[in-house]
Amino acid sequence: MSIVIEAQNLKRCYGSGVTLVAAVNDVSFSIEQGEFTAIIGPSGSGKSTLLNLIGGLDQPDAGRVLLQGQDIATMTGNAISDFRRDHIGFIFQAYNLIPVLSAHENIEYIMLLQGVPTLNRQARVLEMLELVGLSGLGHRRPSELSGGQQQRVAVARAMASQPDIILADEPTANLDSKTGAGLLDLMRDLNAAHGLTFLFSTHDQMIMERAQRLVHIKDGILEQDETR
Amino acid sequence: MLLIQLAWRNLFRNGRRTFLTCLLLTSSLVVIILMDGLILGMLGVMVGGITQTLEGEAQIYKAGFRDRFDSTLYLESPQSILNVLNQDETLLAYAPRVVVPAVIGSSYNTLGGMVYGVDPEKEAATSRLRQALIEGEYLSDKPRALLMGRLMAEKLEIGIGDRVVLTASAVDNNELVQGLFRVSGIVQFGPKELDESFVFIHIKGAQALFQLGDGLHQIALRFKDFEDANRSDLALASKIEGENIEFKGWLALQPGIGAMLEMTSYSTLIIGTVLFLFASLGVINAIFMSIYERLYELAIAKAIGTRPAFIGGLIVLEAFGLALISCSIGLPIAYCLMTYFAGSGLPLGGNIEFSGVVLGGRLYPELALHQFVQFPVYVILLTLVAAIYPALFAARITPARSLQKAL
Repeated sequence: MSIVIEAQNLKRCYGSGVTLVAAVNDVSFSIEQGEFTAIIGPSGSGKSTLLNLIGGLDQPDAGRVLLQGQDIATMTGNAISDFRRDHIGFIFQAYNLIPVLSAHENIEYIMLLQGVPTLNRQARVLEMLELVGLSGLGHRRPSELSGGQQQRVAVARAMASQPDIILADEPTANLDSKTGAGLLDLMRDLNAAHGLTFLFSTHDQMIMERAQRLVHIKDGILEQDETR
Repeated sequence: MLLIQLAWRNLFRNGRRTFLTCLLLTSSLVVIILMDGLILGMLGVMVGGITQTLEGEAQIYKAGFRDRFDSTLYLESPQSILNVLNQDETLLAYAPRVVVPAVIGSSYNTLGGMVYGVDPEKEAATSRLRQALIEGEYLSDKPRALLMGRLMAEKLEIGIGDRVVLTASAVDNNELVQGLFRVSGIVQFGPKELDESFVFIHIKGAQALFQLGDGLHQIALRFKDFEDANRSDLALASKIEGENIEFKGWLALQPGIGAMLEMTSYSTLIIGTVLFLFASLGVINAIFMSIYERLYELAIAKAIGTRPAFIGGLIVLEAFGLALISCSIGLPIAYCLMTYFAGSGLPLGGNIEFSGVVLGGRLYPELALHQFVQFPVYVILLTLVAAIYPALFAARITPARSLQKAL
């Protein structure tokens, strides 16, 4: 298995002087292709900050993040935008979608940014909708979809760009347990069927139960790296 | 295409805000168009009032005559000039005149004033003398007929048919000359200066009385296009101007009008700038509100790989859409209002005399093409300029921080 992500001595601090807090402190770990991993820890432990650093949404104060061997911590402007677009899929807690676009258009959006030709784009949108079980609902705007359906569209959008890894920041936080379980099963199936790499940040028990590997974070420090 | 689609749909997410912002821009556009129309209308009345009342759009006279209205400075052989004027195609009409200061006396009173010897028909085609007649008859071939300003008639305590004696010095030998005339008509131009100082008699009678022969003091001109009068390359001017003969357009004759035109264009600029500045601040505020409202969404768009320029472009395009909608609403409204007021006029609450011109009881705005081309372009450009700062702000948002802030 090849290494997709390598975090090396990551450090991210907030505040200054006496209020300086290290949200992530000297964290190092790597993720291999096809892993289904969860970063877990209590609220305020630094797991979302760590995920943001890995996704290039924030820049570390020290250390580096290698994604497919490229250091994304040094990238800025269009370079980091393009890198995220082509290599990383994101799923957030809620309100993931652009409200003025339909489910179909939300999935198509990222491929439009990538410059995928129209015919390929349309075919892939339909394929993704089918994969997440939303065939026939592509015309609906996010406000016309349930929370679970919206998260499925977010998964479809994250997959549409054919990324190396999908980062999911507490994707079940706003869902009821049944819908959340359904969404996680879907992601687990996609992981198994397509070899997609998933990295979660969560304290949801359901995700922990399904994850192959758990990276425990507390007070910004990696406490335990547990592979099942 | 995606950018346009997104911008268009975003505009209607918060209909009330879009409506209010459009209302602001639309009102600014309508106000500036109406204001420009009113200023143009007022200038038209003022320029027309000055050039068409008596002054003419241009004048030909002997060098130095206008400095002191010295009657000894006259065109001795004007026939060659009149021949040129008769053949010129840019002219609508011209009026030869004799202008001599005189003492005008009635049985009851005596006043100093200016006697104008005019060709009745040519004068009627050039100035408003015939239209200014409020009582009696216009000048004809009757040798003793005289038109008098209303205020002068009141001061001299005379009316139609009464006798008037004109006393002046002959132009060539300075001998005292006198002529007896009868008031055939009373005229009223509006400006006090004209109505209390001027009398008009037939040009032949004036030339004979003041011993001018065929001489003329001035020839007032009216052009088919009044702008021609001020053209520096006017062929007519170069044909006529000589060592002792001057040809002056209305701007040179009345430098005050030029200053007034300049002043009004500055005031339009200042009022327009202030108006658009406030509108721009409103636009900036509305755009920022819309950005803050969807900070989370913009952060997600950026997180999934949307380039900063795309986000900035989206904001600018939304502003462009706002301006476009505002102009599409504002232009028909402005056109309807302008057409309505151009027909019915805006009430001024009585006659107002301004810079020697009487503005009637109503002011009629003037429609012009530039109001419907130039001003919408200004609205669009200023809205785009107003959108630059919010667009830069949106383009520079940091996904991690904005996601945290928005939640």
